[in-house]
Amino acid sequence: MSVLEVRDLHVRVDDQNEHKEILKGVDLTMKTGEIHAVMGPNGTGKSTLSGTIMGNPRYQVTSGDILLDGVSLLDKPVDERARAGLFLAMQYPAEIVGVTNAEFMRAAINARRPDDDPISVRQFIKELDHNLALLDMSEGMAERYLNQGFSGGEKKRNEILQLLMIKPTFAILDEIDSGLDIDAMKVVAKGVNSMRGAAFGSLIITHYQRLLDYIKPDVVHVMMGGRVVKSGDADLARKLEDEGYTGLRDELGLDIQLTDEN
Amino acid sequence: MVRVKPFTTAAELATFSADHHEMASLAALRQQALAAYPQLPLPTFEKIRYQRWPLFNGNLAPEQAANQTVTSTSMSAPVAPLATTGAADQEPAMIQQLDLQVPRVQLSAEAQAQGVVALDFFQAQREYPELFAKYYGTLAAPALANRLAAFHTAAVNGGLLIYLPAGAKLTAPLTLELTQSGDNGQLYAQHLLLVAGENSEATILATRHTTTAGSASANIVEELILEQGAQLRYTAIDGLKNTTYLARRAYLFADARIDWALGEMNDGDIVTDFNTDLVGNGSQADFKAVAISTGSQFQGITTRLTNYGLHTVANILQHGVILSDATLTFNGVGHIVKGARDSDSQQENRVLMLSRTARGDANPILLIDENDVRAGHAASVGRVNESQMYYLMSRGLSKDLAERLVIRGFLGSVLTEIPVAAARAALTATIERKLIDGQRHRDRAQ
Repeated sequence: MSVLEVRDLHVRVDDQNEHKEILKGVDLTMKTGEIHAVMGPNGTGKSTLSGTIMGNPRYQVTSGDILLDGVSLLDKPVDERARAGLFLAMQYPAEIVGVTNAEFMRAAINARRPDDDPISVRQFIKELDHNLALLDMSEGMAERYLNQGFSGGEKKRNEILQLLMIKPTFAILDEIDSGLDIDAMKVVAKGVNSMRGAAFGSLIITHYQRLLDYIKPDVVHVMMGGRVVKSGDADLARKLEDEGYTGLRDELGLDIQLTDEN
Repeated sequence: MVRVKPFTTAAELATFSADHHEMASLAALRQQALAAYPQLPLPTFEKIRYQRWPLFNGNLAPEQAANQTVTSTSMSAPVAPLATTGAADQEPAMIQQLDLQVPRVQLSAEAQAQGVVALDFFQAQREYPELFAKYYGTLAAPALANRLAAFHTAAVNGGLLIYLPAGAKLTAPLTLELTQSGDNGQLYAQHLLLVAGENSEATILATRHTTTAGSASANIVEELILEQGAQLRYTAIDGLKNTTYLARRAYLFADARIDWALGEMNDGDIVTDFNTDLVGNGSQADFKAVAISTGSQFQGITTRLTNYGLHTVANILQHGVILSDATLTFNGVGHIVKGARDSDSQQENRVLMLSRTARGDANPILLIDENDVRAGHAASVGRVNESQMYYLMSRGLSKDLAERLVIRGFLGSVLTEIPVAAARAALTATIERKLIDGQRHRDRAQ
């Protein structure tokens, strides 16, 4: 069993666009075998949390820690964190011309294996074909340049395809449902559910409860104002759907301005 | 390393001409060039300061000490040979030359049947004096144009003639493997004269490679003349190690077309003079190049396409990458002369810098002396796209591997244009090797 812990995490962003503290003490612990969902209104730091766990250099940790099986990840660059078992399905995957999808996935798989023991072509193609079929993707997708000219939905499926091929210990899915129609969302959920098991944990970041109808979470966390304000089981997501974030905020007596509040 | 003597005397040069049974007019031109070159100006290339480089070093003949012998193994270059994609039952057309020795020529049945000629520079003068009289140093690369050109004319000590008769159409590529030992003290003044007769068609896949770096200079001139309606696809991968002047110049008659695809993967300092004159009406030139500079080398690449004829079309696309303390300068010169009506000149020059100490330039220069034309340019000097790096590394790829993939993407717009799959693969492999070398050098320095 593996454990991913986020302890009293404070994060700021300082770039040409903004200078501010976004995360103000996030605590969260998840284990393999579990699916956690993080919900929350816009601008509350959900994507900052996922990017910081992965090691996006844009985010600066000012205090707190992120630990994988008790080992701090903070001084590790993004590629080391990935090889240690983390995966982040991104909202806006980069497009790279000249590098095919298949080639990229093989490189990612081989990055986790010894130099003298790369995955065999046969094994790779077998897994690729299986996962393409599972996600209702055409074989041609593998030979296209990485995300180049992919539609929004194709990009999201492609993130899940990489997830299935790479088989990380912990996968963070950052708003994988945004911009997806209901059929595509079901396909994405099918992919994630196929990973469920004792050796896999996932942190699903979403605005809406809808995705959680298809990927049932074990734990739901609600973030507001840069911290987790409430955690509970799947019923918490349904309750939010009924009452909204303002309802929960008022119930908890929090003094937080929500971005989209008028 | 072999000691390098100063360049030759008139008497020694006359002996050299006589020993090689050179045609009288060329021997005389040599003497004229020898007298003239020290006084002629060096050509100027924008933002490329090469004036103090050792470009005039070496002996006419190799030093005995180096004592190179021609063997089949010494012909094999680490640059992957460009395999042909012709019919399976057809022997590929292959021309190999080690240093300035007599080349090994193996023409395909197709090339032989159509009368294609590929000969050693001196033998060709004896067998085709009329071709030399008409084309050598006259149209594409004027023999006395400047100090470097004249020095070449004086010193040229080997090379090749390739002649495609009018109407010849080669379906399979013609492969050239040109290897310079580099460390034998011999000045490498190699000349390629290529004449494509009227309406001939061919694909050339050339590799130039230096085996071991040395102090002798290289002064290479390729002159290509495309007679009316000739169509040539010219792909070259250059991996030169000594200080080099490389002129690659084409002269196009009416309706001729040349498609250049060049990979400048040199390891030494190089200044290039890539030039195409679109003289005949309706002629077209499409020029694409990729370059990688590593270590502390300097690559100064100037590409000039000049529209002289009516309805001529000229395109330049140059993408390059710089690592460590290296320098890469791209000059793209699009010149439309007065009277070249309904012509088109477009260009794009982009440079990516992978270190704080890399130096790079991308200079589009448009010289338009006619009103009835279309012209445009784009240029940039930038750094590796951070979001692409983050994305690739988030899948576990090391920084170096991620960087190489991002660069391949950046060079991809040129790579995908290379006509022959095997040539594309060879250039991709060369790029990969050059980048790995460059990254190792950088990582050691850090």
